[in-house]
Amino acid sequence: MSFLEDYAYYFGAFGLIFIGLLIMLVKHNLIKVIIGLSILDTGVNLFLISVGYISNGTAPIFCRDDMDPSRMVDPVPQALVLTAIVIGVAVLAMALAIAVRLYQRYGTLDLRKIKELRW
Amino acid sequence: MVSPVLLIAVPLGLAFAMPLIALISRRLPRFVPLVACAFNLIVAIRLIPTVLSAPVIQRIGGFSPPFCINLFAGPVGVMFAGLIALAGLVIAIYALSYIRTGPTVRYHMLYMLLLVGATGVVLTGDVFNLFVFFEVLCISSYALVAYFGDRNGLEAAAKYLIQGAVGSALLLMGIGLLYGLFGTLNMADIASRIGSVSDISVFVPLALIVSGLGVEAAIFPLNAWLPDAHSSAPSSISAILSGIAIEVGLYAVVRMIFTVFGATSIFMFLLFLGVLTVLMGELCAFAQTNIKRMLAYSSIGQIGLIVFAFAMASTISLAGGLFQLLTHTLSKALLFLAAGYMIHRSGSMEISSLNGMGRRMPLTSLAFSFGAFSIVGLPPFIGFPSKFLIVRSALEKQQTLFTLLLGFVLLGTLVEGAYFFRVVQAIYFKKSGDEPASRSLAPALPLISMLILAVLIIFVGIYPQPVADALSTAASDLLDRAAYIGSVLR
Repeated sequence: MSFLEDYAYYFGAFGLIFIGLLIMLVKHNLIKVIIGLSILDTGVNLFLISVGYISNGTAPIFCRDDMDPSRMVDPVPQALVLTAIVIGVAVLAMALAIAVRLYQRYGTLDLRKIKELRW
Repeated sequence: MVSPVLLIAVPLGLAFAMPLIALISRRLPRFVPLVACAFNLIVAIRLIPTVLSAPVIQRIGGFSPPFCINLFAGPVGVMFAGLIALAGLVIAIYALSYIRTGPTVRYHMLYMLLLVGATGVVLTGDVFNLFVFFEVLCISSYALVAYFGDRNGLEAAAKYLIQGAVGSALLLMGIGLLYGLFGTLNMADIASRIGSVSDISVFVPLALIVSGLGVEAAIFPLNAWLPDAHSSAPSSISAILSGIAIEVGLYAVVRMIFTVFGATSIFMFLLFLGVLTVLMGELCAFAQTNIKRMLAYSSIGQIGLIVFAFAMASTISLAGGLFQLLTHTLSKALLFLAAGYMIHRSGSMEISSLNGMGRRMPLTSLAFSFGAFSIVGLPPFIGFPSKFLIVRSALEKQQTLFTLLLGFVLLGTLVEGAYFFRVVQAIYFKKSGDEPASRSLAPALPLISMLILAVLIIFVGIYPQPVADALSTAASDLLDRAAYIGSVLR
C-alpha cells in the first residue's frame, strides 16, 4: 500500500484534472462548463503543491536552529500555487461575467443553442 | 543605458493608474496608450544596438540567476518588444477615433495590459513568469473580444475563454512537471540540465507546454477559437490580436522548443503541422463571405507558414520566419484597420457589400490593397522578401521532402492570392448596387495610422537588407542554446 500512500496526492490531482476535463467536454450548460474549468484548475494546483510536499514538514526558516532542513517543505510550489489561484479567480470571474451577459442576450446558457457563428 | 525592465514597468504602472487619470479628465485616458507605446518604442530602439552585440540580463530582486527571476533582453526579445510597441502605437492612434462607445476607459486599460502581457512574455527568462504574463495577455484579450457586448462578441469570447483556460491549465501542468524534474524555473538553468534526464520524462512536459501555448498560437488543430474571436472583436482589437497576440504565443512555443528543451526531434512533426495549418487556414479563408472571418483564417494560414519556416531550424529559415512574422504583423494590422472603416461605412461585413468601395473610400481601399498585396507576397511590398527567404531556405535543404512540403505551402499561397485578389477586384471593379458613388474619407487619425503602416510596408519591402541582417542575428540567438545558457548563468 505504500505506493498508493506515497502517490495519493498525484492520483487525487490527476483525478480532479480528468474530472474537470470530462465535465467541460460533455456538459452543455455554460455554468457547468465553468465549474468543470474550476475543478480542472484545482487539480492543477493540487498537483503543483504535491510536487513540493513533505508529510509532517515544517516551514523553511533557516535562521532557527531547531528546524531540520530535511523536513522543510519547498516554498516555491506554494508561491506558484498562490499566483495560480489568483489567476484562476480572475479567469473564473471573467467567465462568469461573460456567462451573465450571454444569458441576458440569448436567454439561455445551453451551448447547443448559442451558436450563431459557424465555420 | 536604459533598463529593459522599463518596457514592462512603465506601461503596467500607467495601465493601473488609468482610473485615476480618468478622474482628472474623461478625455485623458485615450492618450495614455499613445504615451506608453511611444515610450516603449524609443526604449526598444535604443536597446537594439546594445543587444545585437550581447544580450542584456536584467536581474530582479538582487539575487543572481537561477535564484531570481531574470529578464532576458536578447535580439529576438527586444525586436519583438519594439514591434509590439510599434503596432500598439499605430493601433492606439486608430482607436482614438474608432472606439467611441462603451466603457472606453476600461478599453484603454485592458489594451495596455494586453501589450504589457505580450512584452513580458517576450522578455522573460523564467517559465513561471512567462505563464503569468501569458495569462495577463489572455485575460485582457478575452475581455476585449467581448467589448461591444453583442451576441457574436460574447459567444466568441466564451469560446475563446474556455479553450484558452484549458490551454493555460495544460501549460501550468507542464511547468509543474518541469519544476518536479529540475527544481528550478529559470529557462537557462532548465536548458542546461535537460540532457541529464531521460527523453521520455522530458517529453510529457514538452507536449503539455507546446499544446498549452499552441492554443494561443493558433497552431492547427488548436485554433477553433480564432476565427470567431478575431471576427467578432472590434477591428482595432482584431488587428492587435492578429498582429501581436498569436505571434507572441508562437514566440513562446519557439523559445520553449529551441532554447529550453532543445527538442530537435519534434521539428519534423511541427513541419507537417505547419503545412496542415497553411492549407487548412487558406482553404477555409477562400470559402468565407465575411471579410473579417476571411482575414482571421488568413492569419491561421500565415501562422502555419511561420511554423513551417521555424521548423526547418536553419539560421536562414528562422530569419525568414521572423521576417514573415514582421510582415504579418504590419500587413494584417493594416488590413484589419482598413476593413474596420470599410465595414463602418457599408454597415455590413459581407465581402459583396464592399463592391465599389474604391470610389467611395479611395485611401482606405488603397491601404487595404497594399496590405493584401503584401500578405500575398508581391514585390515591392514587405511580404516579398520574407516569403522569398522562406522559399530559399526550404530549397537550400536540398531534400525532396522539404521541396514537396514547400510545394504544398506555395499552393496555399496561391489560394491566398486568389481570395485576396477577389476582394481587391470587388473593391475596385465591381459597381455598388444602389448607393450613389459619393466620396468620403475615413477620419484623419485612422488614415494616419494606416499611412504609417503602408509606408513601413513599402519601405522595408524596398530596403529589406538591414532588417534581414538584424533578423539573422536574432535567428542565431534562438538557435544558439549554449550562448543563451552561458549569458544568463555566467
